[in-house]
Amino acid sequence: MRHAVYRMSALLLAAWIAAMPAALAQDSERNRYFVQQMIEMAATDNEQGVVSMQRMLEQNPRPAAPDPVAARAAFQRGLTLFGQEALDAALEAFQQASRDDPGDPDAANHAGLVYRKMGRFPEAEAALQQALALEPTRAVAWFQLAQVYGLKNDANRALGALANTYRFAQNQMRAEEILRNIAENEAADILRNAALQTLRLFHLPAEAVIVPPLPANPGGIVPMNSAPNPARTP
Amino acid sequence: MNFPFFTRGLALALALAGAPPASAGQYETIDYYVQQMIALAGVNEEAGVLTFREQMENLPRPEPGDAQQARPFNQHGQEQLAGGQLREALAAFRQAFIANPADPEIAGALGLTYLRLRRFKEAERLSVYALSLAPARSASWLTLGQVYGQQGDTRRATGAFANAHRFASNRPWIAEQLRQLATADPVDAIRIGALQALQSARTTTAQPAPSTSAPSQPAAPVRPAVNSSRATDDPGSAPVAASGLLGSLKQGLATLAKPTDPAAAGPTALAAPANDNPGQRIYRRSMPLTCLIVTFRDGKTANLGSGLLVSPDGLVITNDHVIDKAENLAVRCGDRESVARVRKRSKAPDLALLTTSLDSRESFVLNQTYSQNLIGLDVFVIGNPYGLESTFSTGVISGLREIDGVRYIQISAPISPGNSGGPVILRDGTVIGVATMGLKVGQNLNFAIAAADVIASPIFAPKQMQVRSASTP
Repeated sequence: MRHAVYRMSALLLAAWIAAMPAALAQDSERNRYFVQQMIEMAATDNEQGVVSMQRMLEQNPRPAAPDPVAARAAFQRGLTLFGQEALDAALEAFQQASRDDPGDPDAANHAGLVYRKMGRFPEAEAALQQALALEPTRAVAWFQLAQVYGLKNDANRALGALANTYRFAQNQMRAEEILRNIAENEAADILRNAALQTLRLFHLPAEAVIVPPLPANPGGIVPMNSAPNPARTP
Repeated sequence: MNFPFFTRGLALALALAGAPPASAGQYETIDYYVQQMIALAGVNEEAGVLTFREQMENLPRPEPGDAQQARPFNQHGQEQLAGGQLREALAAFRQAFIANPADPEIAGALGLTYLRLRRFKEAERLSVYALSLAPARSASWLTLGQVYGQQGDTRRATGAFANAHRFASNRPWIAEQLRQLATADPVDAIRIGALQALQSARTTTAQPAPSTSAPSQPAAPVRPAVNSSRATDDPGSAPVAASGLLGSLKQGLATLAKPTDPAAAGPTALAAPANDNPGQRIYRRSMPLTCLIVTFRDGKTANLGSGLLVSPDGLVITNDHVIDKAENLAVRCGDRESVARVRKRSKAPDLALLTTSLDSRESFVLNQTYSQNLIGLDVFVIGNPYGLESTFSTGVISGLREIDGVRYIQISAPISPGNSGGPVILRDGTVIGVATMGLKVGQNLNFAIAAADVIASPIFAPKQMQVRSASTP
């Protein structure tokens, strides 16, 4: 009987261990869904919806850190390497930090930043969503994510992510000025327009700098100094 | 009543009762306190202003940024701003602000740049934010006052300017800035706001400065109408709300260039030195009794002219054509100002009597003399031709004329549009006529309604006005 109990326990443990990656993957998908919902609701100025999804994410238990000391050291190494623009090495360091402490949003956020710098947008998006799942009010991660969507030409998501950037900014006036700067100076149309729309979403003053181009010669206006009947050359 | 205690109590009650809604965002919260400070400054509630200032100072501060990174951007912005390169200044100050949003100087400079770019909403937000970092930063209050003025909000402009003065570490400098705004800014609400702030700060009124704006249309001397001689109490002259009218007063008065004013320090400054020549003596005595009349119609300055203070309780005589079609009236006599109401009007002679709140120990005395003996006597004319306040000129009595049943003193002293309604004064300081019209042809052929006809007219108030009986002057 005791052997049977032990066998059963071992089987259950084995089953639980076997199922763990699938559960984690499921959690990851679920979290990604909540983050996407926050983006979509922010884009339509659905504040209550944004807050609801934020609460769902905040109810997640924080993953245990296998080695927080090593994680911190790896993160610091990543920052140094990033400062030296050694992006591959920095990414490796941030990934290590994330493995040693999967509950650290800093590591995931910086991994996302490096991916974005490398032009690896899907990975950047995933890393930043991971950071936001851990800390849904992290404005910097929302801002990174908005830039990723801007670069991916995803206007609506860029808008939603920028809206959350402003919503969760610790200093909203600074965020407002950053948005205005983007709205007036950013070369990429998607991001520039998203910043402009975000300012408008929050009823903040904004100046659109790009106007629809005028026809080249409206109404057939002729320059004053043009000859009325230019002589034909033979 | 113990007023200081009452004021403190009121301020405290306001502070306790007034708090931004719990749901207010970051900006809304700080804006709430700034607006309270403006409102209280506008009514000179110093205790209330200081209470809200203290509350603002207790608000959570933003995290300090990277001052080292911000410094070169800020420096570059200052250079560009000084050079009038506003776009470049904006870009630089933005970078500085993003690097260090906790520096009130940078936030204030960014607000000022937005103001110069005429982006008033942004200028307002940045200035309010700068004040949340440093509620006593005078420069940001000054910017904010201009922002509100540009938006036509005189009340808030006044309050913000008052706080600019209140918190200035260099009050003469800020007073000078306000004077310049009061006299030279093309925007009415800014001029009025600055003037009111100066007055509430009990500083002297706007000093002379070259006016960049053309004065309002002065009342040209005209030939008086002859078809009506009936004086009427004017029921249409009921005052509008005092604040609106006072605002209009400031609007009109602030439009004008003011002369260097010996009366700026008050009536005692008019005491004549013993060795004055007669012109100086008459000017010093007459200037505070000679009034600028400003009229308003459809909320705008419509007309201006001159007038003379003729009673200790503030009666002012002017020409009827000066106040014709006016909806509201304001006067400034010397350095004192008041709204005015029309008490009586007369088309022939062309006269009007205004009531004001200007109590005065002194007033002009009307000289009843009208005889050939007057011809050749020196006369002195003081008025506001083309808005040039207290312009003094001299001449002689050239003749006596009766035109359309009205007796006039012909004078050689120059008068121009804006002189209408002003006094023509003899060497003894009595008023011999009211400057009214001139001939466009010829030179120095000008006419004043004889004081004798003022006394004979329906606007004359015998119990209040002083008269020197006809005799050899």
